[in-house]
Parts: sequence; structure tokens; C-alpha cells
Amino acid sequence: MIIKKIKTTAKDLLTDGSVSLIIGYGINGPGDVTPVFIKDPDDVEKLVWNDQCYYNLIRYLSDRDFIEQNNGSIGIIIKGCDQKSLKVLLSESQVNRDKIKVIGVTCKGLMDSDGNVLAKCEACDVVYPDKDFCDVIIGEEVKKKEKEKDFSDIDEIDSMDLPDRKKFWDNFFERCLRCYACRNICPLCYCKECIMDQHNPQWVLPSASVVGNRLFHIVRAYHLTGRCVDCGECERVCPIGMPLRKINRKIIKVVKERFDFESGKDQEQKSPLTRYRENDSEDFII
Amino acid sequence: MSRSHFDSGEKVKKKLKIIGFLCNWCSYAGADLAGTSRLQYPADIRIIRVPCSGRMNPLLVLKCLQEGADGVLVSGCHPGDCHYQEGNYYVRRRMLILKNLLEYFGIDKRRFHMSWVSASEGAKWADVVKKVVEDVRDACEEEVKTAG
Repeated sequence: MIIKKIKTTAKDLLTDGSVSLIIGYGINGPGDVTPVFIKDPDDVEKLVWNDQCYYNLIRYLSDRDFIEQNNGSIGIIIKGCDQKSLKVLLSESQVNRDKIKVIGVTCKGLMDSDGNVLAKCEACDVVYPDKDFCDVIIGEEVKKKEKEKDFSDIDEIDSMDLPDRKKFWDNFFERCLRCYACRNICPLCYCKECIMDQHNPQWVLPSASVVGNRLFHIVRAYHLTGRCVDCGECERVCPIGMPLRKINRKIIKVVKERFDFESGKDQEQKSPLTRYRENDSEDFII
Repeated sequence: MSRSHFDSGEKVKKKLKIIGFLCNWCSYAGADLAGTSRLQYPADIRIIRVPCSGRMNPLLVLKCLQEGADGVLVSGCHPGDCHYQEGNYYVRRRMLILKNLLEYFGIDKRRFHMSWVSASEGAKWADVVKKVVEDVRDACEEEVKTAG
């Protein structure tokens, strides 16, 4: 049983003192999975594992204050998709890999609260976390599915006429509340002072207007260029149901086609915007 | 982005506001050469000098468009000619992503351009400006038309 193994592993790590905190999934009420923080070995019974564990817990590791409070020694339960986020954080030197213990768990796909399989899980290619990356691996090994990335939804928007495309997005920009939930949940948005909160100079209109919202979403997506691993958390938390993955995946597509780069694969690889090739295509330059 | 200075009703072509970000070492000198050679080109462009095209932050482009510029042009040294060796290689990647994103959100790609103009290419600079102004004007006209 996966959950039994998770509990014993967590207990062992806490008792032998290799970590002072375990971040995992717990239960808040019937059918309501929530992140839990376990410091006492006796509390490991609170851990759960089911198909509702959709939170990307790596979010907590990108919070430097939080890591410092726990002396950096944190054990964390991750799925294959979360592992990609962690690899990006490592490639940006945001996390000290030696201090954290990674417990990888095989995931067979997640459901939303209505029982539908999450869209990101249908396109998943990392059911089983990397053996040599995780400290502990729980669950039976599943063969990696080599899937060609499907960008048909992006092509669909790309093939729209310009005014239609503008209308499609403006429809969401009119409703965006600028609650910044998409930014706050993102495991890779870790700037201490976000550019959206800056007032001098004020780059982006802070009001929830179409102009300001459009710019906000361009900048948010741009800052994830070559970094976003399509964990889908932003789209999940969006209160107006904006298809944020469609924005992120557009950039993933461009980066893959033009720079031949996929984020979250290799922690040694630097972001494509910090590198260049002399023969990069420049068909857009006049 | 939303505020267009273009008015299709007028017979005299209204002046556009196009912001040009020119690198200090090549494009700015190229534009200067166009001026000293008395080359004619539309006066719809306002030039901002940047130390290197690699200094270009996509936010600068976006801010211009947000504040009501009709178009933006970024110009730097030819690849391999950068005064700082590699600034223009980085900006080339950055602006590619930006251009794709703008288009994806329904902003006409003709509003944002990038070019390489060296210090000796005064004539090319004049041609680039002519093309950019023409493109931006077309984009504005089309937007007015579709907006009904």
C-alpha cells in the first residue's frame, strides 16, 4: 500500500532527524485534500494519498523565508509532475538539494472535485518520478510513456482571425479580478517583490481593467518563458476559469520549436533566455 | 493597445506615435547618418537611445503600447557586431517570445518590429522606418475598420 509506505518513510525521516518537517497531503474534511505540515512523528497518521492530491507542494520550497524557518531540512512528497517544478527551482539555485528529502510517489492520474480526470494528467508523461532524483520512491515502477506533446488547442487559437482572437482573450481580461491567485500559487513565481506590486516605476496598471489585465497576463506568462512546466496550478485556482494553461503552453510550444528546449527535464540546463545560439532563427526581423 | 491615434475619417494622414528603441553603437549612429545624409523618412517615429539592444526589457515595449503608442521598433547591431559581443543575441530570443505572445493575444504583429541597422546603414534606417510606419498605419486602419 502506497499510503502505508508514505507514513513509515515520513516517520523514519522525522525520527532519525534528517528532516524537521514533512510536507505532504492531508485531509480537511470529506473529499477535501489539503497540504499538511508534519513535525511530530506521531502525526504521520494525518497523511493521505489519493487521486485528489493535485496540489503542487513545491510551491512551499520556493518560499525562502519558509525554508529558513525550518533550517532547510524539509521532506516533501512529490508526484512526477511536481518533480519538474523542483528541477527548475534547482536549476535556478533556489533550493539546496542536499538539505531536502524528496519522497517520490507514483501517480496514476488525478481527479478534480467533480471526479473528472485533470486535463494535465491526460497529457502526462511522468507517471513515475526519476529514481536517481528522489531520495525515496514509493509505488510500483511504471514505464515512461513517450508522448508527443499535443498542442492542437494552441493551434486552434492561433488559427483564429486576429479580431476573433482578441475577442476571445478580452472576454477573459474583462472578468479577471487581478486577485493574483495564479501568481501566488505558481511554484516558480518566487520574486520577493513582484513587478506587479511595484509603484515606482509602475509598469502595469494595477486596476482590473482590460488594458491592465492584458498586460498583466502577458508579463506573467513571459516571466515563465522556458520555466513553466505546465503543472496547471494557475488554471486550477483561477476564480473566473481563465484558460491560463493555454497561455503557458503557447510559450512552451514556441520555446520547444524555436529553441529546442523543454523545462523541467534537466536541472543542469539553464533557461533558454539566458543562452543563445548564433544561428537562432530571425525570420521576424526586418 | 486600446487607444489608437488613428482616425480614418481624416483626409490628411494623422501622425502616428511609434517608439523606436535604438542601440547606441549601431542603430542610433545609423539614424544619425540618415539625418546627416539628408535622407527623407516619415517623422512618426520617436527615438529612445538605449546602451545596447540587449538592454531591452519586454516591459519597455509593453509599457509603450499600454500608454498608447501605435507601434514599437527595436533596432540593434547586426548579429556578431554587438559592441558588447552578445547583447543582440539575447534580445533576439526575448523579442521573439514577446512578438509571439502579442500576436497570440490578438495584438497585430505589425505593431511591433525589430531590425538590425548598422552605423553605416543610413539608407537602410530610412527604409526600415518607412516600412514600419506603413505597417503600423495598415494595422491601425484595419483595427478601426473591424471595430466598426
